[in-house]
Amino acid sequence: MVSRSPSRIRRRAIAALRMLAALVLAGGIYALVSPGAQANAPGSLSAAAEEGKALYNNYCITCHGNNAQGVEGRGPSLIGVGSAAVEFQVETGRMPATAQGAQIDRKPPQLNSDQARQLGQYIQELGGGPQVPFSGERSPTQGNIAHGGELFRINCSSCHAFSAGGGALSSGKFAPPLNESTDRQLYAAMLTGPQNMPVFGDNQLSPQDKFDVIAYVQNLNTDNDPGGWGLGRFGPTTEGVAIFLFGMVVLGFAALWIAGKS
Amino acid sequence: MSISNERFEFVRQGAKERDDVEIVHYELQYPLGSRQEKRVVRFVSGLFLLSGLASVVFVACYIWWPFTNFPAVTGWEYEPGNSWMKGYTPILGLTLGIALAAFGFAVLVWGKKLLPHEIVLQDRHDGASDPAERKLTGSTLQFMGEEMGLSRRPLLKVALLAPAGGLGLAAAALPIGMLMKDPHHPDVFLHTGWDPQANGGKFVHLVREDGETKIRPEDISIGGQITAFPGIPGGTTNKHADSPVLLIRLRQNDAEALRANIEKGYPINRGGMAGDLVAYSKICTHAGCPASLYEQQSNRLLCPCHQSQFLITDNARPIFGPATRRLPMLPIVVDEEGFLVATSDFNGIPVGPAFWEKPEA
Amino acid sequence: MKRRKFDMKQLPASTAGAIDDRYKVATPLRSLLNKVFPDHWTFLLGEIALFSFIILLLTGTFLALFFEPSSQEVTYQGSYVPLRDVHMSRAYETALNLSFDVRGGLIMRQMHHWAALLFMAAIVIHMARVFFTGAFRKPRELNWILGLTMFWLGFLEGFAGYSLPDDALSGTGLRIASAIVLSIPVVGSWLLTSLFDGEFPGEIILERFYILHVFLLPLLLLALVTVHVGLVIVQKHTQWAGPGRTNHNVVGERWFPRYIIKQGGFFMLVFALIALMGGLFQINPIWLFGPYEAAVVSAGSQPDWYVMFLDGSSRLMPAWEIRAFGYTVPPLFWPTIVLPGLLTVLPMFYPFFEARLRKDKAAHNLLDRPRDVPDRTGLGAAGIAFYLVLAFSGGNDIIADKFYISLNAMTWAGRIGLLVLPPLAYYVTRRICLGLQQHDRQVLAHGVETGIIRLLPDGRFVEIHQPLAQPDGHGHAELPYVGAPVPKKMNRLGALGPAIKGFFVPIEEPAPKEKKAEITKEKEPV
Repeated sequence: MVSRSPSRIRRRAIAALRMLAALVLAGGIYALVSPGAQANAPGSLSAAAEEGKALYNNYCITCHGNNAQGVEGRGPSLIGVGSAAVEFQVETGRMPATAQGAQIDRKPPQLNSDQARQLGQYIQELGGGPQVPFSGERSPTQGNIAHGGELFRINCSSCHAFSAGGGALSSGKFAPPLNESTDRQLYAAMLTGPQNMPVFGDNQLSPQDKFDVIAYVQNLNTDNDPGGWGLGRFGPTTEGVAIFLFGMVVLGFAALWIAGKS
Repeated sequence: MSISNERFEFVRQGAKERDDVEIVHYELQYPLGSRQEKRVVRFVSGLFLLSGLASVVFVACYIWWPFTNFPAVTGWEYEPGNSWMKGYTPILGLTLGIALAAFGFAVLVWGKKLLPHEIVLQDRHDGASDPAERKLTGSTLQFMGEEMGLSRRPLLKVALLAPAGGLGLAAAALPIGMLMKDPHHPDVFLHTGWDPQANGGKFVHLVREDGETKIRPEDISIGGQITAFPGIPGGTTNKHADSPVLLIRLRQNDAEALRANIEKGYPINRGGMAGDLVAYSKICTHAGCPASLYEQQSNRLLCPCHQSQFLITDNARPIFGPATRRLPMLPIVVDEEGFLVATSDFNGIPVGPAFWEKPEA
Repeated sequence: MKRRKFDMKQLPASTAGAIDDRYKVATPLRSLLNKVFPDHWTFLLGEIALFSFIILLLTGTFLALFFEPSSQEVTYQGSYVPLRDVHMSRAYETALNLSFDVRGGLIMRQMHHWAALLFMAAIVIHMARVFFTGAFRKPRELNWILGLTMFWLGFLEGFAGYSLPDDALSGTGLRIASAIVLSIPVVGSWLLTSLFDGEFPGEIILERFYILHVFLLPLLLLALVTVHVGLVIVQKHTQWAGPGRTNHNVVGERWFPRYIIKQGGFFMLVFALIALMGGLFQINPIWLFGPYEAAVVSAGSQPDWYVMFLDGSSRLMPAWEIRAFGYTVPPLFWPTIVLPGLLTVLPMFYPFFEARLRKDKAAHNLLDRPRDVPDRTGLGAAGIAFYLVLAFSGGNDIIADKFYISLNAMTWAGRIGLLVLPPLAYYVTRRICLGLQQHDRQVLAHGVETGIIRLLPDGRFVEIHQPLAQPDGHGHAELPYVGAPVPKKMNRLGALGPAIKGFFVPIEEPAPKEKKAEITKEKEPV
C-alpha cells in the first residue's frame, strides 16, 4: 500500500472541493446570465403565463392538446401563433370554440380581457409569435383616416365590404362585420390573419399603416350618415327593397284611398 | 256663390247634346252650408296652412341650418360622428315632404269630399272609320301616288335608289366612322403594363399602390397577399386597368402542390413562381372585376361580383361559378437588388374577360 | 280723349274672347274639360312613373349645373376629410362637392336617385297591371310596345346615370358592362373599343354617358311618353266591367274638375314621398365607396335593383364556354345579351300571339279580371317567379352572409329554383284562378253567405244564403257571370260600393233614438 500522508489526502480533498466550487460557480454564472429556456421548460413561466396555463388546461387543452401541440382533426398547434392571435380569438369570444363548422363566429366572450391576455402570454412564452405592440385597447397614436381609407379599399373592402359590414366567402365562410371591434382586435386580426383572412405582416402594413386603417374603420363605425338613415349600408339591395316595401306600398295605399276599388 | 241648378242643367244638357257626355248621377256629399261641410273646409284650410308653414320652415332651414362652418376660412370641415350638420339633409327632406304632402292631401280631400260625387257616361266612338271615309282617304292616297307618277316613270324609281342608298350610307358612315376604333392595331388585349418591350426592354418592377415602393419577397408573410402594380408611369391608374396582380406567399406544402400542378397540367406557367411567391392577374376572366377575396387556408380566390372561385394551388383554375378560364400567372423573379420583377407579359395570355377572337391559351 | 274704363269683372270673358278669336278654342276646350275618365286605383300606377319622370327632370337639371363628367385626375381638397388628398376623377370630385359643399346638393342627389328607383318600380308594377288585366289587347298593342320600350330606355338611362359619378361601385358595374359588350360574337371587341375609344376604361366614356343621360335618352323618353299618354287620351282608358259599362262607353268622372284634382293631388303625394325618402333615407353614399380604381372592389357589390336581375342571371349561369374553329363564345353572352334580348322581343309580340291563340280579333275596352284568364295569369305569375329568382340571386352574397347560408348553396338554389319555380307558379296560380272562378259562379247561383246558421227540425244545420236573384224551388238562381266582381259579403250588396263606411275599421253609427225606444218596448214583459 502506498503511503498516504495526511497532507496528500487533504490536498486531494481540497482539490475536489475546488472542482466542486468551480463547477457550482460556472453553472451558477451560466444559469444567471443565460436567457430563459424556450419550449418544454415548465419551470420558467412568468406569473401571467402561469395563470394562462391554468386557463389553458381548463378551456383549451381538449382541442389544442398538451403544450399547445394541437390535436389532429380538432384544433391546430398554437406553437408560434403569438399572443396577438390568442388575444384576438379569446377577446372576441371566438375561442373557446363551441362547435366545429365552416367558420367560427364572434360571440359574447367566455373569458374576460385579463384572462385573454394571460392566455396570450402563456402561448407567447410557449412558442413565440407576433404580439400587439401596445398595451391598451385603443391605438396609441391617431392614424390618418384618408390614408387608412385608401389602404382599406385596396386590402380590406373586397371581403369586409365598403361599409365594413362584412361579406360572404365561399362555402359558408364569411368575413365578419367590424362594427364591434376594438382597435386592439383590429390590429391583432391584421397582424395574425385569423382563419381565412390573409396575414398583413409589419413588412407589408407597417404599424403606422395599421393605425391608419384602424382610424378609418373606427370612423366608419362612429360616423353618422349625412343623408339620413343608412339602410344598413348594404348598397342597392336594401335601396331596392325600400322602394318597394315602403315607396310603392305607401303610394298603393294612397291610390286606393284616392280612387277606390271597383 | 253656391251651386246654381240652372247653370248645371244648361251645362248638362249641352254636354249631352254636343259632347256625347251624359251626367247620370250628380250628388253633393254634404248639404250646402252644413256642419260637416264646414268641418271639411276647415280641415282642408288647415292642411293648406300647414303646407305653407312647412315650406317656410324648409326655406329657413335651407338658408340657416348649420351646414357651413362659418368661422372656418377655407371651407367647412366635415365633422365625423353626431353633429347638427348631419341633420341638414333630413330636416330639408322632412319639411319639404310635409309641405308637399299636406298640399296634396288638402287638394285630394277637397276633390273627394267637397266636390259633388258624379257618374258620367261618354261614348267611345271607337272602332274603324266610316267605310265611305276610308274609301275616300284610300283613293286620295292612291291618287297622290298617281300624281307623283313614280310607277309610270321607272327611270325615276331606279334613280331614287341612288340617293337613298348613298345618303343613308353617308348618314351611317359619319357616326360609325367617327366612333369606330380597331382593337387589334395596336392590340389592346394582348399587352398590359407589364410588357417589357414597352419598358425599354427592361423587366417591370412590381410596386405597391403608391406607385413607387418596390416590393421585396420579405414584405409578404406566409398566408399573406398584396396587390401589385407595374412600376411604370401611371401604372397604378386606370390607364392600366388590366394590369393589377395579386401577389401571394403560399405555405410550403401548398407551393409544392402548385409546382406539381404546373408540371402536370399547365407547363406554360413553368418558372413563374419566385420561391413560394406566386402572382396572378387580379382581373377576373369572367367579367373583369378584381378577384380579390383570397382565402388563405383553403387557397381559393373568390370574385365578389358573380362568385367565381379560382384554386390558387392549381394555376388559378376556376372551380365554381361562371368563370371558365384560369387567371393568367404573371411570371416573377427576384432581381439583383432583391426586388420582384415580371419577366413576361403574362406569357402572352390575354388578361380579363374573353372575346370572340381570343387566341387559344 | 275719353279713357276706356278697365272693367275687372269682364276680364276673364274678354281674355277668353280674345283667345277664341284667334284660335277657335271653345269647342275643343270644352270637350277636353268634359272628357270622361274611368276611376280605379290601379289606373294611377302608370301615373306614378310619369310624376317620377317629371321630378327626375327637375332634380336632374339642378345636378347638371354642378356636375362635370370629366375623367381628368384631380386631388380632392373638399370638406369630406376621409377623402382628403385622395386622387380621383373630376367627375367623382364634383359629385362629392354636390354632396358636401353645395347647399341642398345632397338632398337633390338623393331625391334624383330615389325618383329613378321609383320610376322603374312604377313602370314594372304598371306593366304587370296592364298584362294581368289584358289592357294590351287590340286596339292598344302599340301602347304596350311603347311601354316596353320605355322600360328598357329607363333601364339604360338609370345605368348611365348612376355610372356618371365614377365611384367604385358603379365603376365595377361599368367594367362588367364592358365585358358584356366584349362577349358579343364577331363584333364584341370592336364595339368595346369603339364605345370606350380604346381599351377599358379610356377617358371619354363618362362624357358619352353624360350626353346620353342628360340629352338623348330624356328626349327619347319624353317623346315616347307623350305618344303613350296621347294614345291613352285619344283611345280613352280601358275600364273594368260593371253596372252601366259596355265595350263602347266610358263610365267615370269628368276630367275637370274631379279627375285632374285627383291627378294633381297624387302628383303632390308622389313628390312628397320622394322628398321624404330623399331626406330621410340615405341612398348611393358614393363617399363610402371611394373613387373607381381597377384593383378595388367591395364585397356585396350590386347594381341598382332594376339591373339586379341581370347580375343574378350572370351569377347563376354555369361555366359553359363554347369554343369552336378558334372562336370563343364566353358564358357571359347568354345571361346578359341573349336573355334580355328575348325578354324584350317576346313580350312585344305577346298581344299578337295571344290574339292568334285565342282567335280573338275583336277590340277590347273592358278589362279582364285576372281570374277569368287563368292561362295568362299563370304565365304572368311564372314570369314574375322567374324574374324574382334572378333578382334575389343578384343579391345572393348578401343573403348568404346575413342569413348564414353557404354562398355556393345559394348559387345552386338559384339555378334549381329558376327551373322549378316558374312552372310551379304557373300551375298553382292557374288552380287558384279556376277556384276563384268557380266560387264566383257558386255565389251567383246560391247567393251570398250570411253567416246565419239555422237548425232544421230534422236536425240538420244549414247556412242561410241571400240570393242575388229570384231563386227557383231548390235555391238556385240563373244569373250569368258578366265579368264584374260578384258581391261575396252582405255589406257589398248594391251597385255603388260598400254600404258601410270606413277603410280599416267600420265606422258604425248608433241607431237613431226612436228606433231604440221601439226595441225596448217590445222587450217589456207583458
